[in-house]
Amino acid sequence: MILPGPLVIVAVPLAMAVVLQLLRYWTALMAWLGAATLVLIGSLVLLAPLDDAWQVANLTVEFGRPLVILGRRLVLQPFDQLVIAFLFFTTGGLFLVAWRLLPHSNFFPVGLMIVALLAAALLVEQVVYAALLVEMAAILTVFPLHEPSSGAAKREEITSAVGGMRYMVYTTLALPGLMITQLFLDLFAIFPNDQTLLNTAAVLLSISFAILFGAIPFQNWLSRVALDGSPPVVTFIFTVNLGAVWFMLLDYLRTYPWLAEQVPLARLFLWLGLLMMVIGGLLAAAQRQLGRLVGYATLVDNGAMLLALSTQQVEGVALATLLLIARPLSLALMTLGLQGLRRLDGGADTYLTLKGAAWRAPWRTFAFLVGGISLAGFPISLSFVARWGLYQLLAQEEFTWALLSLSGSVGVMWGLVRSLRVLLKRPPPVERPVGARLEEDRIVLVLMLLLILVILLLGFFPQSVSRMVYQMASWYTIF
Amino acid sequence: MNPVLYWIDRLSALASGSAVWGVFLAGAVIYLIAEWRIRLLAFLAQYFFIGILFTRLFSERPEMALLKTLVGWLVCGALYLSARIRQDAQERQAVFHWAADLPFRAVALAMMTVVAYLAAQRYALPFVTGELALTTFLLVSLSLLFIGTEQDVVIVGIGVLNLLTALDIFYSVQDPGLLVAGLLIVVSLLASLAISYLTVVEVAE
Repeated sequence: MILPGPLVIVAVPLAMAVVLQLLRYWTALMAWLGAATLVLIGSLVLLAPLDDAWQVANLTVEFGRPLVILGRRLVLQPFDQLVIAFLFFTTGGLFLVAWRLLPHSNFFPVGLMIVALLAAALLVEQVVYAALLVEMAAILTVFPLHEPSSGAAKREEITSAVGGMRYMVYTTLALPGLMITQLFLDLFAIFPNDQTLLNTAAVLLSISFAILFGAIPFQNWLSRVALDGSPPVVTFIFTVNLGAVWFMLLDYLRTYPWLAEQVPLARLFLWLGLLMMVIGGLLAAAQRQLGRLVGYATLVDNGAMLLALSTQQVEGVALATLLLIARPLSLALMTLGLQGLRRLDGGADTYLTLKGAAWRAPWRTFAFLVGGISLAGFPISLSFVARWGLYQLLAQEEFTWALLSLSGSVGVMWGLVRSLRVLLKRPPPVERPVGARLEEDRIVLVLMLLLILVILLLGFFPQSVSRMVYQMASWYTIF
Repeated sequence: MNPVLYWIDRLSALASGSAVWGVFLAGAVIYLIAEWRIRLLAFLAQYFFIGILFTRLFSERPEMALLKTLVGWLVCGALYLSARIRQDAQERQAVFHWAADLPFRAVALAMMTVVAYLAAQRYALPFVTGELALTTFLLVSLSLLFIGTEQDVVIVGIGVLNLLTALDIFYSVQDPGLLVAGLLIVVSLLASLAISYLTVVEVAE
């Protein structure tokens, strides 16, 4: 029996999701089984030769063979291999992070379903289906994002479903634009003299992706999700879901190469990216809640990615992808810290409630800061390597742009330094008695140390990752 | 032509003009009245009118229009259950009352309706008939009103579902294929489940 590769990539996580749903009682088993499945398929996708077949017992898997559903083709292309592997490995890693933080959570089965949908979105040839699949994945994310805590992690926390609702609303607002864009671009291919079709398509596409990236003035959902959502799931949205959106944008540009030639998209990305970095930096510097700081730091990072794309060079695409690969490490560390700090005071993460929290949860504070420094693009981290490369590319064209983009990173750092001052402040015992120290889970501690180590290692030796990313970027012959 | 299809076509042709304004009136009730049962009843009626309009779209395949209506009613059922759970948890007596800041809402609704009407007159949507174009613009206006000015998860959710319906009408004209129609149905069902979940989850916490 011959199986096409895309069927394995999509169907196995979906089947495993059903199994994990039945194993909800055993969190460790769920987490490890889910992570193992994702790592296995991710490795197969990364290593599989597309022009050859894999023989397993009576089954033959041909990764290069397309899967056809009602006339629509799902094909694994060379540039999809690293992308899908990134999504699978990141989700697998986040499952291990969530293992101790989200007992009996539906994040594990739903996460597998989401990653299968996102993989299908990247494999399908017509971008309209990709948009619909990304929408489905976004809606599914709402379930683990606002899952009520259970078991040992149950706490009296202030919860609101606004973050999930906003995420769903904004993603749905972006959907019509994405679907209609393809329609107009297909019409433009038939009527190449009708410039209105192209201009309308370009405007719709820009607005839709601006909404999905949380660009100014649509940044509201990013901060709200970071504020209300469960930390590991927030990391999942900001890395896996946003990563898929990023590659969907590259897919649009690759499918319609004349779009980038005939419409000044590069200029648009440049100004949008600069705006996101500068405003995001200012907002991050002014925050008094750690959750919002995470949201605005991500906004700055998204802006940096768009700026990298605006350079219209392969190096730019590579730098943007490098930023995306560095993000899960920084965000996972940051949210591990945030989750512990929130546990100190019933889920709140305002400066008022977290005064002196560093003395009660030193490791979580350290994790939050190291993750934050890495996300801000300061040394020594993989993000710094990517940001430094970006500043150099921008400075070659216009030095002011490099300075403006740097100001975004400085804004995030300023927010972190302000947070550190509050976290280190000892409150007077009369005004507010110091609470008990946070009992650290040893496994979480090991995870945090491991993440710090990986961030430092990749910061010192970024060559292996950057080489791989550059190779992938060279397949995107957009510019 | 099959006689059943012929009569369905004739009846829907007669009713479609009223159905457009039925969609609007149902939206107006949802926006102006704060009692959740009446709102959900109006939403149920809105899907009925949308079903009539879909029969114009799928004149050869009325079962598709029926399917879309049934899915809409299923969505209403899910929202009803979650709103009911929330009502029970809040232990408040449900009584009829107009929405807060009624004058503002009435003016906003009137303005958005005029905008939708003028947009339908001025901007011709490719391959879309006048009635369906007006419905699409009205649904988009209503969804923007619900999303932009409401706090209640259920009503914001109805805004999301209205937007998806508008997209469904517009896109079904362009691509009457089964796959996009099916995927849009799945998206609507998932969205309604998520809205129901979010409505209940705040109560659960």
